[in-house]
Amino acid sequence: MFKGAFSIWRRDMLVLRRSLFSELAAVAASPLTFYLAFGFGLRGYIADVEGVPYTVFMAPGLITMTAVSAAFDESAWSMWFHRKVQRTIEAYRVTPITVYDIVIGKIFSGFTQGALKGAAVAAVIFLLTGVRFDPAHLAGYLAHIVLGSMVFSCAGTVCGTLLDKPETIGKVQAVVIMPLIFLSGVFFPVSSYPEALRSAVMAVPTAALFEGSRRALLAGALDGGLMAILAGTALAAFAATVAIFNRKMAE
Amino acid sequence: MAAALSLRGITKRYGTLTAVDSFSLEVERGTIFALLGPNGAGKTTVIRILTTLLRPDAGTALVEGFDVQRQGREVRRLIGVVPQENNLDRYLTARENLVMQARLHGMGEAETRRRVDELLELVGLSGRRHDFPDTFSGGMQRRLVVARALVQRPRVLFLDEPTTGLDPQSRRAVWQYVESLKDSMTIFLTTHYMDEADALCDRIVIMDHGRMLVDGSSAQLKERLAHAHRYELQFRANADRYGAMLAGFPFVRSLQRSGDLFRLSLAGEEYLKPLMDAIGTDDIRKVCLREPTLEDVFIELTGREVRE
Repeated sequence: MFKGAFSIWRRDMLVLRRSLFSELAAVAASPLTFYLAFGFGLRGYIADVEGVPYTVFMAPGLITMTAVSAAFDESAWSMWFHRKVQRTIEAYRVTPITVYDIVIGKIFSGFTQGALKGAAVAAVIFLLTGVRFDPAHLAGYLAHIVLGSMVFSCAGTVCGTLLDKPETIGKVQAVVIMPLIFLSGVFFPVSSYPEALRSAVMAVPTAALFEGSRRALLAGALDGGLMAILAGTALAAFAATVAIFNRKMAE
Repeated sequence: MAAALSLRGITKRYGTLTAVDSFSLEVERGTIFALLGPNGAGKTTVIRILTTLLRPDAGTALVEGFDVQRQGREVRRLIGVVPQENNLDRYLTARENLVMQARLHGMGEAETRRRVDELLELVGLSGRRHDFPDTFSGGMQRRLVVARALVQRPRVLFLDEPTTGLDPQSRRAVWQYVESLKDSMTIFLTTHYMDEADALCDRIVIMDHGRMLVDGSSAQLKERLAHAHRYELQFRANADRYGAMLAGFPFVRSLQRSGDLFRLSLAGEEYLKPLMDAIGTDDIRKVCLREPTLEDVFIELTGREVRE
């Protein structure tokens, strides 16, 4: 069961391996620029945030942002490219594997790429900036990354499945994905929002992701409520993505 | 002989357009079968239904006895598909493309290695096994797509316009592979090239507007036009004047002009004499009876109108 999904995932990993260095170098550039610009450029203007230096405060968010953005990008563009340009999805569909194999393989490819690229950015930040965390906190942090990458990989897969024009995917990234990420606490704590808004913002899965992962990495605290929001979203996103892809393929 | 493919009353609609209309067909095992028709006739829809990519609105379709709607997975185990467009994976080498196909069919590693090497040799790409398809010519890419469709040793091979866009040498090469497969599988192809269907196929069906128009061997289809009294007339001079005369005769059923050469069909053999009496022999360079071609049959049945 799911041998087809594994074959597709394996294919994607083979292709990634061929350009691993350039991919990781490219993906590290953007968060590192943010880190240097905001962390060091604004160091004189921003004091500690929630009791930690700003450079330390923003590091978990940047790593998480890299992982989930990479998961979305890889899933959306890969699905679109294989469906509309290369038409390999059609080649897969005349073999004995099922549409579930295809979509699950693609979701896990996006998820793996997100996790790998997040790890690469983490390594660069840790090596170059001297930011250090308690290794005991990593497991909880990774749990957030895994669930977040799954949510964004599913969102990307849905975009790549439903959207036929590449510019529309670009618009979704600009209008939906980036605001969701930037307004959910990558560069500032959710406590900055007015009190009346705060609980609503925390119910947004991306806020649960960024706030929860930061607490997990910096303080070793696992918030059951935030984890539940993330896990529930990941599960719902996975089920919805599989159903949407199945429906699209039946058209 | 048992049927490899069986369609009964297949209908497929896209909104108000009926692409395939109560289409029924049986194709015997071991046949090279061609489905011909102008653009939009419904050929690709029939192939997409048979390869489980599309669900019909009505009717049943069986491949080697398996229902395409209820037993899709079993059907896909038995078929190989060469689509109209090369859908190779450009990020995998030629060899990796075939290995991927073997994995999707659940083939073991040792069998995959053996089969992939054998196919690369067969299609003349073993020297380019580690190259990416983007670096191949159109003919080489097409041969690789054919090889990919054969990895799992299919019992039915679907070829949707397999040689469109290829140069004559590459077309002949694809024909050779297809002919060499004849004894081991049923081959179902669609094509716009009448010479291809004529040279390769045991049986031909011409369809249009989603319906079957005619069914038979190439010779049988041509025989249908044997009564059509087709002639070629070539003039030394005054071709325009003779063209106008020919167009005015009530017994000239069809007329095509190419320079000073006219191809026409008469309503009956008895009209040849009045025709010759009327035009005389002064300016005639050549007059001959023309054997019908498969293209004549196709045009006769589907009309001259260019389809979008």
